[in-house]
Amino acid sequence: MNCYIPENLTEALEIRKKTHAVPMAGGTDLMVQAKKGIGINPAFKTPIMIISYLSELKGIKVEDDGTLVIGSLATSSEIADDERVFYPIRKAASLMGAVSLRNTATIGGNIANASPKGDLPQPLILLDAELVLSSIDRERMIKVDDFIIGAKKTVLQDDEIIKEVRIKPVKATHYFYHKIGTRKANAISKLSLSILADVEDGILKDFRASSGASGDKVKRSRDAEMILIGKPISEIASHIDEFTSAWDRILSPHAMPQYRRESTRRMLSDFLIKLSEGAEPGIYE
Amino acid sequence: MLDNKISFTLNGKMVEFIGDPLRRLIDTLREDFNLIGVKEGCGEGECGACSVIKDGKLVTSCIIPMGAVNGADIWTIEGIRETELGKIIIEAFADGGAVQCGFCIPGMVLASYVLLKDKENPSELEIREAISGNICRCTGYDLIVESIRLADERRRNA
Ligand SMILES: Cc1cc2nc3c(=O)[nH]c(=O)nc-3n(C[C@H](O)[C@H](O)[C@H](O)COP(=O)(O)OP(=O)(O)OC[C@H]3O[C@@H](n4cnc5c(N)ncnc54)[C@H](O)[C@@H]3O)c2cc1C
Ligand code: FES
Ligand code: FES
Repeated sequence: MNCYIPENLTEALEIRKKTHAVPMAGGTDLMVQAKKGIGINPAFKTPIMIISYLSELKGIKVEDDGTLVIGSLATSSEIADDERVFYPIRKAASLMGAVSLRNTATIGGNIANASPKGDLPQPLILLDAELVLSSIDRERMIKVDDFIIGAKKTVLQDDEIIKEVRIKPVKATHYFYHKIGTRKANAISKLSLSILADVEDGILKDFRASSGASGDKVKRSRDAEMILIGKPISEIASHIDEFTSAWDRILSPHAMPQYRRESTRRMLSDFLIKLSEGAEPGIYE
Repeated sequence: MLDNKISFTLNGKMVEFIGDPLRRLIDTLREDFNLIGVKEGCGEGECGACSVIKDGKLVTSCIIPMGAVNGADIWTIEGIRETELGKIIIEAFADGGAVQCGFCIPGMVLASYVLLKDKENPSELEIREAISGNICRCTGYDLIVESIRLADERRRNA
């Protein structure tokens, strides 16, 4: 048998452990990879398990302490349309593909696929999102940043399925998200950047950035962020060069490195200049 | 566990598919149900020629396996053209000169249908966004956008 269609999570995890069948969620990556041609069924090298019917993996909810829980089968459309989802994730989801792609592509598939050009890991890593990985024998939590270890590489074990994504509420006054693609619809990211800032009483209490499509995985650097964290807004301007240079050192873009580096530096410094000039709290693009 | 028997509604009728659950929805629709208004352009989810409506949402049938449509409600152009709104859209496309070779049109009509069924008087931006996954190699889109606007006007005045 080359295809399993479990109806609940326990059944799915048993099959996964026994056969190591590869989970198929929306299929937007897997079906394209396995494409054979008109009228010919796609060919897969491994058994497949269609996980579309697992209600345990569906929906978006907010727990009592404000933790946002996004089921791994949540589609980009569901995420983009849900006001409770933190801004950069919602924005990134809304800019993926075109309508029909967003109606099919799932967050679990986007993370597990671990393409450096995938759009959702970038804002998820900005917000320190964690994954719940389920297997029949255990359940474990891991940060998205630790789950993806390189281009198309993750630490998913062959008996595990991503159950959900968990994000604790983050204090932030300013958000920035920008994706540069080739055209508006169905554009694969050439470059993306998220920034989060929390300004309180004139002090930059928190500052984070996250760069997508700028290396083999999403890039963040707590060390670079620490250059700015805790500084009074009035001193930000004098640290912009130091920060953007430190950020530039963590990027390792393959194609068009100059373009990617310069665009990132410009977006970061433009945002920091605005902050240092006392920009109103809100969303910047 | 589901086996290789998939039941779903197709253009309002209950139907059954028995076979490889990894067979593409587009192949089943065209070859088993003879719904050839579903076109194959790219076969990779990029052009929208194979668009169908699944549970009220626009999707591309070339990248959906049959195993994922059990219990789903699927509509193709052959069903939508019999609906009130579908008729209005198709007439507006004809009157508005939106059709040249016609290859993209079934997908365009379905994308318009999904937009207009939930929204009256959509903005130009909303119309362009709604059809942004549907590629047309002939028209340059302007007449299609105009025709969708015309369809919206006619349905509001109907
Ligand atoms: C036309 C087109 C446009 C696209 N545009 C974009 C874009 O703008 N931005 C972008 O980021 N991507 C884009 N993609 C890529 C793709 O749509 C996304 O990566 C999508 O989120 C994948 O989700 P899926 O559910 O379809 O994945 P699937 O194809 O079902 O699976 C992808 C991988 O994830 C694994 N997987 C899926 N779910 C789970 C789970 N719950 N647990 C463990 N493993 C799992 C699968 O085994 C597989 O390895 C595009 C694809 C197409 C065809
Ligand atoms: S044929 Fe399906 S999107 Fe092009
Ligand atoms: S009319 Fe020819 S592709 Fe649109």
